[in-house]
Amino acid sequence: MSTENYLELRIDQFLERLADGEAPGGGSAAALTVAVSAGLVAMVARASSESWEEAGGIAAQALAILEHVGPLARTDAEAWQDAASALRGADGGDAERRNFALAQKLERAAAVPLEIAELAADTAALAALAGERGDGTHRADAASAAALAAGAARAAAHLVEINLGVTDDDPRLRRVRDCERIAAESAARALGSVR
Amino acid sequence: MTRLDSLSDAELVRRCKAGDAEAWNALVDRFSRYVSTICLRGFRLRAEDAEDVFQDVFTRVYTNLHTLRNESALRPWIAQLTRRLCLDTLASGAREQPEAEPISVDREARLDEIDEAFAVREALHNLSDTCQDMLDRFFAQDQSYRTISSELDIPSGTIASRIARCLGKLRVELEGRSDPSAGSRE
Repeated sequence: MSTENYLELRIDQFLERLADGEAPGGGSAAALTVAVSAGLVAMVARASSESWEEAGGIAAQALAILEHVGPLARTDAEAWQDAASALRGADGGDAERRNFALAQKLERAAAVPLEIAELAADTAALAALAGERGDGTHRADAASAAALAAGAARAAAHLVEINLGVTDDDPRLRRVRDCERIAAESAARALGSVR
Repeated sequence: MTRLDSLSDAELVRRCKAGDAEAWNALVDRFSRYVSTICLRGFRLRAEDAEDVFQDVFTRVYTNLHTLRNESALRPWIAQLTRRLCLDTLASGAREQPEAEPISVDREARLDEIDEAFAVREALHNLSDTCQDMLDRFFAQDQSYRTISSELDIPSGTIASRIARCLGKLRVELEGRSDPSAGSRE
């Protein structure tokens, strides 16, 4: 398994890896989309510091999310590769042990996109604020950030659902759907504020 | 009764100068982690050398506190004293611990980070409990707005703005802190 740090790759190199093999995949792409969105929010907030009192605090939160979510691109790829290897039965051992190990790995493979979805929802909320209160020149960037974050939340929620393969009343599923809904509502607010 | 840990550095110094033993204990308590961190993480002294510097720093602070002209300059004064004693210790042949970080993270950068972290920590103490709690949850515990909202029973849509206002107050605290040069002969 590769231990390459995606954050140290050039963008074209990362895109090449994305197109190339099993990992990075959807979760990594969602994590980096949230990072891009958080970067946009920070930019809008920083550019609005003269007219928006809370701008500095919003930028700081966006940067904290950016720092947190970037490394999840790698974490997600590792968790998924691990689970995929278990799904192929590469781990050996008796059936009961294999099934237990597989369940553990799938749980892990779902936990990372769940975290990405939470961060996406927070980023979308920040983007909506930036869209409503930020400098007019940059509101379209804030709306773009919110739309990207909402897309990432939706993608991450889908991955959680697939990886867990559980029923609707599973608390993790409810949690991730909450994130998806919050992000979608924030994006609708942000997009509405620039129309 | 005044809680000693809520006093400013200057007030603590004034009480120590007046011979208040409890204030002295509070001063040691407030700065012991700071001094240890400079020795162990800033200068990477070995534990036994760090312990010697620690004892020496507080002995000198106790002996020379009356010479500190600007009482709010306690922290930079203690920092300067600790740095000097660490350098003396290294010059006398003590060895640094093996590097646990890349060489590029040099000593000055580490010391700056320590200073900044402790300044933020002190400034945080002057914020309301709610602000401290929210900043800790978001920045240190990486909690989401949804989690903060449900645990503190605050509407989710207001969390980001509340955190931003708390950060604004923290900024005012940090900017308002004097950074006077050390005012003692020690």
